[in-house]
Amino acid sequence: MDTQQKLQQAFSDALGIPPEKVIDGLTYNTIPEWDSTAHMVLIAELENVFDVMLDTDDIIDMSSVAQAKLILQKYDVSFA
Amino acid sequence: MSASLNTVLQSASVLITGASGGIGQAIVAACIERGATVFAGGRNEEALGAMQETFGKALRPLVYDVTDEHAVKDTFRQLQRQVSDGLAPPLFGLVNNAGVMLESPLSVTSMDKLKQQLNINFLAPYQHMQLASRLMSRLRRGSIVNIVSQVSEQGSKGMSAYAASKAALTGATKSLAKELAPVGIRVNAVAPGFIDTPLTEHYENEARQKVLQRTVLQRAGTAREVADAVLYLLSEQAGYTTGHVLPVDGHFCP
Repeated sequence: MDTQQKLQQAFSDALGIPPEKVIDGLTYNTIPEWDSTAHMVLIAELENVFDVMLDTDDIIDMSSVAQAKLILQKYDVSFA
Repeated sequence: MSASLNTVLQSASVLITGASGGIGQAIVAACIERGATVFAGGRNEEALGAMQETFGKALRPLVYDVTDEHAVKDTFRQLQRQVSDGLAPPLFGLVNNAGVMLESPLSVTSMDKLKQQLNINFLAPYQHMQLASRLMSRLRRGSIVNIVSQVSEQGSKGMSAYAASKAALTGATKSLAKELAPVGIRVNAVAPGFIDTPLTEHYENEARQKVLQRTVLQRAGTAREVADAVLYLLSEQAGYTTGHVLPVDGHFCP
């Protein structure tokens, strides 16, 4: 599984949505599944899958799938 | 003691701040007796080293200042690294025990002293809850116990800064119990009354008697009695209890 697939799977597991729904444009609070509780689970899932510990400012900024990719790149996770 | 209580702590780590203090040491001992691995946080390296000699691998010292935001983040990274390396079980419990008690009337309480109370007694526990809850939510289970005070519940002349800082922590406890319930984390508090610890050693006999006269059980509490209450709230025996402040005060009547 490459990092893009890992990311998709992490979002899918945390939000309880099919992987194909995880696209760059998917944004926080625009679907019922991505609420504040799911956001917390998502952060935990991403930290677990990519073995990182995110700063609070990055968690605040993580408002979309595209943003998540940009932020994770700061922690040496690359999306080819 | 039920099997479930033993089971949950045997496969769990608990982070305890202020671990080398009077109540802290009692909580550490109680958790280790029940089979937990304890991450013991504190600034006193020597005292933590001595505790490690007593408890061996069950105790993992973490030397840091709870008010240093960056040190706290680094500490959680260290903790998680030990978990990832299989050296300790996943974090299940957090006990925010580190605190300082300021006795100072309003007119002579400087802003610096007030901020120090808030930093140690409220902001530091808040940051610990923020970081610990992220680790706990990976497994959808966890238990947080904050040490508050009967002073914040009842008020006490000359202790407004301390009372306010602990009241803030009580408020956070009740709110986070609601916020973290969906991810399987319970949040409770223990509110000790007059407990025999180095913190209360300076009380002169007359002052001590005054406090005890207002305590229905007519004696000071012990650190072990506070630790037992913490242990209960950490355990699965308190699995249906969250957002609760448990007094351990011999029924103190102000």
